[in-house]
Formats: sequence, structure tokens, C-alpha cells
Amino acid sequence: MRAQASASGVASARSRGLVRCEHCGLVSRIDTEEHCPRCRLAVHSRKPQSLQRTTAWLVVAVVLYIPANVLPVMGTSSVLGESKHTLLGGIVELWETGSWELSLIVFIASIAVPIVKIGALALLAATAAARSRWRQVERARLYRLVETVGYWSMLDVFVVVLLVGMVSFGAFASVTPEDGLLAFGAVVIATMLAASSFDARLIWPD
Amino acid sequence: MREVGAESFPSLVVCAECDAVYARRPLASDEVARCPRCGALLGRGHRLGIDGQLALAVAALIVFAIGNLSALVTLDFRGRETVLTLPEAIAATWQTGEQLVALLALATAIVFPLAVIALRLWLLAPIAFDRRPPAFVPALHALAWVTRWSMAEVFLLGALIAIVRSAGLAEINVGIGLAAYALLTVLLTAEMLTGLHGLWRRAGERPA
Repeated sequence: MRAQASASGVASARSRGLVRCEHCGLVSRIDTEEHCPRCRLAVHSRKPQSLQRTTAWLVVAVVLYIPANVLPVMGTSSVLGESKHTLLGGIVELWETGSWELSLIVFIASIAVPIVKIGALALLAATAAARSRWRQVERARLYRLVETVGYWSMLDVFVVVLLVGMVSFGAFASVTPEDGLLAFGAVVIATMLAASSFDARLIWPD
Repeated sequence: MREVGAESFPSLVVCAECDAVYARRPLASDEVARCPRCGALLGRGHRLGIDGQLALAVAALIVFAIGNLSALVTLDFRGRETVLTLPEAIAATWQTGEQLVALLALATAIVFPLAVIALRLWLLAPIAFDRRPPAFVPALHALAWVTRWSMAEVFLLGALIAIVRSAGLAEINVGIGLAAYALLTVLLTAEMLTGLHGLWRRAGERPA
């Protein structure tokens, strides 16, 4: 069901001198209150320096994406010898051993999702900086998609942790996580922080 | 309900994603309100009262304990059977030297989900007995933050992938712990869907 609203001219809270506390949701008057009357934290009409912080985290994510893909994420050693896998190498190996559904899942979560997230956030930040009114509803949906899907990229970290655990108890092989996995985890965190720094209200300039 | 402060407007709701202002109206238990302009979620009707939410939290705590203390998987390799719990998998990762990775997994799969459950109990139990939770506002802030960074469901899918990936190397059986984590995911999602607005409203009320 839709909330009641006037069909035309939906006024923004900021233009009415109101602000919504981002923590507890209470609506209060901005010019007399700097802190939310209910939860006491600072209220902001727009997240301070949102675009700068989003861009900074995106740069961090892109920079870390390089070692995340170049360095190995996992190493195995057995009586047959040692080998180390990069992200892509592991995906290829899954594909070649026949588990193409797994290969696809890991590819989507570890390669596609982070790239799409970074690209989407860059687009959102750039259009917001230009105060564009191009396709606002679609951009709002894109932002929601990024927020929802973002943390699923942490998948690979858990896969490796479990594999390490499982084989450490067996005598047949050992699995070790490698530095690439840490870089990858950092990329996921950086993109999550970039998304939470972005103020979606900037899609709707007054 | 009493006014929180002279300059607040509890009768208004503002879209968190596009700043549009609307009049608040009560929702039936199956209704979901979305912003007409940008489609963002404005609120949901409540299906569960405090008692129901408290029951969910207690159930989640039990399931969480089972999930962490019971075997995620049992491995059978050449007659040797070994069981693996989640804390053991993380400890094994720590011992390989990649301690930050182990910490990351520990935080997002164990500590933060536990914090979500513990904070919910901290808040809901006093309210169910008509008392005000201690440190109500800081606890709510902590709950909102921790809910964001809890990744039990991602861990679950990762565990399933790891199992399928090793299926060729040894005989692997899914343990009770993994089933418990699957159930935990469902319970945590149900808890999250109840939202925090009702709790924030109570926090703003002066104690009787």
C-alpha cells in the first residue's frame, strides 16, 4: 500500500526546514536543533562530505582490488605438491572440474558483484555531484540494489575459512589462506563503507 | 504518546532515501508502505508484538549456541572420522598465520550475530516486563550498527559451497551445526523485519 502523499510537488524535508534523524528516524526542526531530541546524536540535513567520503572509499576499493586478484587467495599442499590459487584461478578450476554452478556463484559473488558495485557507486556519486535529474527513480533503485547485495561478496572469505578447517583435520592435504584473501575482504568492506557514506538524498536535488 | 521535544514531529515520516515528507498513518499487519516518489521502504505493519519478538530472540540464542557448539560437518576419510565446528575452523585459519582473515570471519559470522541476539534480549526482556531497558538509547544504536555488519547468511552459503567443493576428497556429511545456522538465518531475518521504529518510539517516551 502507498503512503498518503500529494501527487505533485513532493517537498523535501530540507526545503521545509525539517530533518530526519538517520539513526532513529525522528523528524525534527533543523534550525533549532543540532542533535536529535530523542537519540541525542547529531542530525544532518545531508550526510557531511558524503561524495568525498564515497569517492575516497571507492579509490581504496579499486586500489585493493588489484592485489585481491593478483595475489593468491588460497594455497593447497598435498603429497602431489603445492599450489596456490588466485580468485580467477579458483573459479577456472571449479569450472574445469565440472562444478560449473559453483564456479558461476563464486564468479558472481567475487568478481562481478564488486565490479558492478564500484561502477554503480561511481555513477551515483558522479550524477549526484552534477546535481543531475536523469532517471532519478532508476538511480534510487540502483542504490538500493547496491546496499542489499553488497555484503554477499564476503562469500569467498567464508568458503576458504571452512576449507581450511575441513582439511586441517584430515591427513590428506592442507589448505592455507593467502594474502589475496585479506585484500579481497578489505575490498568488500571498502565498498560497503562507500555505499553507506553515499547519501541517497543527493539523487533528488532540491 | 507523549511529545519527545518541542520541535519534533512524530506525526510525520520522511523518506530516508529521497527526503520527501509524508503524514504518518498506522499500518495493518500485512501492509508495507513505500515512498511513492522513489520506492524506498517507509515502514511495515507489525505482525509480532514484543512477546513474539522476545520469543524469536530466545529461540535465536538457543539455535546460535547449537550452531557454534555442534558439528558443521563430519568428515570421513579412510576410516577416520572427524568433526568440525565453526570456532574450530576459525581457529585453524588463525593458526595458518592469516589472523586478520580469521578475525574477519569471527566477527561477521559469530560475534556480530551474537551481539544482535544479545542486544535484542537486553532491550526486549525489560520491555516485556514493563520496565525501561538500561542504556536504552546506546543499546539501540549498537543494535542498528551490529545488525548491519552481521553476515550469518553469507557464512551459510560459503559453508555450503566449501562442502560441495570438497565432496570429492572425502565423505562429508552435513552436521547439526549447519542446519542450526540455516535456521538462525531465518530467525535473524524475521527479527530484522520487525524493524526498530517501535523500540525507538518507546525510547523517546518518558518513563511512567
